[in-house]
Amino acid sequence: MDFIIKILSDSLYFTGPILLCTLGGLFAYKANMINIGLEGMMLFGGFISTLVLFFTHSWIIAFISALILAILLGMLFSYFGVTKKANFIITGFAINLLAIAIGKYTLAALGRIDINVIADVTRSMASIDLGIIGEIPIIGPIINNQSFLTYLSFVLIFVVQFILFKTRFGTYVRVVGESEEAARSIGISISKIKYFAIIIGALLCAFAGYNVAVNQLASYTPDITAGTGFIAIAAIYCGQGNPKNSSLYAILFGISRSLAVNLSLRIGVIAGLLEMIPYIMIIIVLTVVGIIRKRKTLYRGFLHE
Amino acid sequence: MKVDKSVLKQIGLKTLNTIIPVLIAFAIGSIVILFAKENPLNIYFILFDRSFFRIQGFLKTLHYAGPLILAGLAIALSFKSGLFNMGIEGQIVSAGFVVAVLGYRWQSLPSITLIPLLLVSGILVGVLVALLPAFLKARYNVNEMVVTLLLNYAIVQILEYLTSNVFRDPSSGYVSTNMIGQSAIMTRLLGSKLTLFFFVVIIVFVIFYIIFNHSKLGFEITAMGKNRFFAEATGMRIQKKIMIIMLTSGALAGLAGAGWMLSEKFSYTLDFSGTPGLGWDGMLIALLGSHSPIGILIAGIFYAVLKTGSSNIAIFTNVPAEIIVLLQALIVLFLSLKSILKIKPIPVGKLFQRKEKS
Repeated sequence: MDFIIKILSDSLYFTGPILLCTLGGLFAYKANMINIGLEGMMLFGGFISTLVLFFTHSWIIAFISALILAILLGMLFSYFGVTKKANFIITGFAINLLAIAIGKYTLAALGRIDINVIADVTRSMASIDLGIIGEIPIIGPIINNQSFLTYLSFVLIFVVQFILFKTRFGTYVRVVGESEEAARSIGISISKIKYFAIIIGALLCAFAGYNVAVNQLASYTPDITAGTGFIAIAAIYCGQGNPKNSSLYAILFGISRSLAVNLSLRIGVIAGLLEMIPYIMIIIVLTVVGIIRKRKTLYRGFLHE
Repeated sequence: MKVDKSVLKQIGLKTLNTIIPVLIAFAIGSIVILFAKENPLNIYFILFDRSFFRIQGFLKTLHYAGPLILAGLAIALSFKSGLFNMGIEGQIVSAGFVVAVLGYRWQSLPSITLIPLLLVSGILVGVLVALLPAFLKARYNVNEMVVTLLLNYAIVQILEYLTSNVFRDPSSGYVSTNMIGQSAIMTRLLGSKLTLFFFVVIIVFVIFYIIFNHSKLGFEITAMGKNRFFAEATGMRIQKKIMIIMLTSGALAGLAGAGWMLSEKFSYTLDFSGTPGLGWDGMLIALLGSHSPIGILIAGIFYAVLKTGSSNIAIFTNVPAEIIVLLQALIVLFLSLKSILKIKPIPVGKLFQRKEKS
């Protein structure tokens, strides 16, 4: 029983960052600007927050600097992808490369193998005790003691759903994504909407990076993101950009990552193989979605994506 | 064939459009170097002098360029047709791993049969790994970019498991497979690092060049990349083309992995493909060469210069070798701006003359 509770509790732990990236990437996806750079933006967030925390010992400054960097990255990506009409897949890829490169260069220049901030991470930063809720049998231990951003990520599902479908901004984003001509004809500034959509994504990725690097691991190495950004992109694809559906996939991937990690503690050597469960699972899900979609349509050959 | 002036101008602009991003990247790189309290010009001199202008260094550069050119061609092939095959990295490492295992198992065979056999097995592995995303894309239109990206992660996990458990060399101090046999190692030429593999690459390159520029398939690839719906409407069998393109791309990647193993690494370790990995390097090279074979050849050699030079930077200066990874990322970033200088669209009539050029 304890083991199952542990798996479920860890599912929340792993879902948090995936969910943040997924919800962030949604806006860009809906505005027809797929952001491959989610992974890099998240890594940048983790990098700058640990670096600043390491030197200033203040999590507020660290968090704010992560947000500022995220806005700059979002502006950079938008400037290239929207204003300059660059190939934004490549721009996103470059941001991923840049995140790794700057991380590695800084570590080499500092002569360290990681940025360890364990001394600056207080217990309340790593996990929040929910008090009375934590005492509910079974559910309590599962949801208790997560970081603030993990809780926030679940709240954000509904916030994003609301923004996307009930606010003017959300409607504009969807209109821009579906038909730029239509958007232009009713006087929406397409570039402005795209800029905002991308910057929101960058901010949420910075949240995810902060969550992993500071709250969860209390250290930075260039591989802490472990493909979270790409998993988020897969979640967005599987859920077709609908916040609730994509979040469900994000949670599914969180659960499979938790299964991989927890089972690996039990069964020893072969454990390494379980690490690939999340990736294989996504491919299977994508395939099933693809097959179902194909059954539903009567197109010949190549389909619109 | 008459060479039109405006066509020449197009090529000139195209070249400038790839050189300018590189210059911008180097300019930003020099700011970073200044922070490390070194002279950027001095660093760049070391970077190029030893790896390009000295014969031993240049041969070493060519040696490194081999797999890079293949990886670049593999990426260009799929990207040019509008397929984002990001799985080159996974295909390269899988091929490298299998070749390492077979090169150890079959070491009793003589070189003359073993090496070609191993290269072919590498190609087959590359094709096999590419088969799943190719099939899913062609049959069910599953997004090939996501599938190949994720497969890379899965493959790395599988290989890490196999290398550290099943095929681990127990006598080795770190995680690695057994060394391939002496007969599987490609001999070095001219007292340098260069092996026959580079000439294999050149042969493949020539074949590729002909297919790309002078065959129906090459034309169809370009047509597909320009507008796949139109291409299909004119009667091209897109699904079959997707399979052919993805699998050929996999074959090139497999060959790159096999060659890298037999001419440089000799045993599979977890950092077989380096950082950020040969496949990702290939992406930069394909971009830099603007997806044309000749461009890729030049870009591959340029990139190999960076790679050879990075170790010299680490030896002779205080700047970390990681500066190269940084330069690389910046180059990709600025290359994504397809054209810094605007290229005017070519009048339709001249399209046919352009074919030989690009």
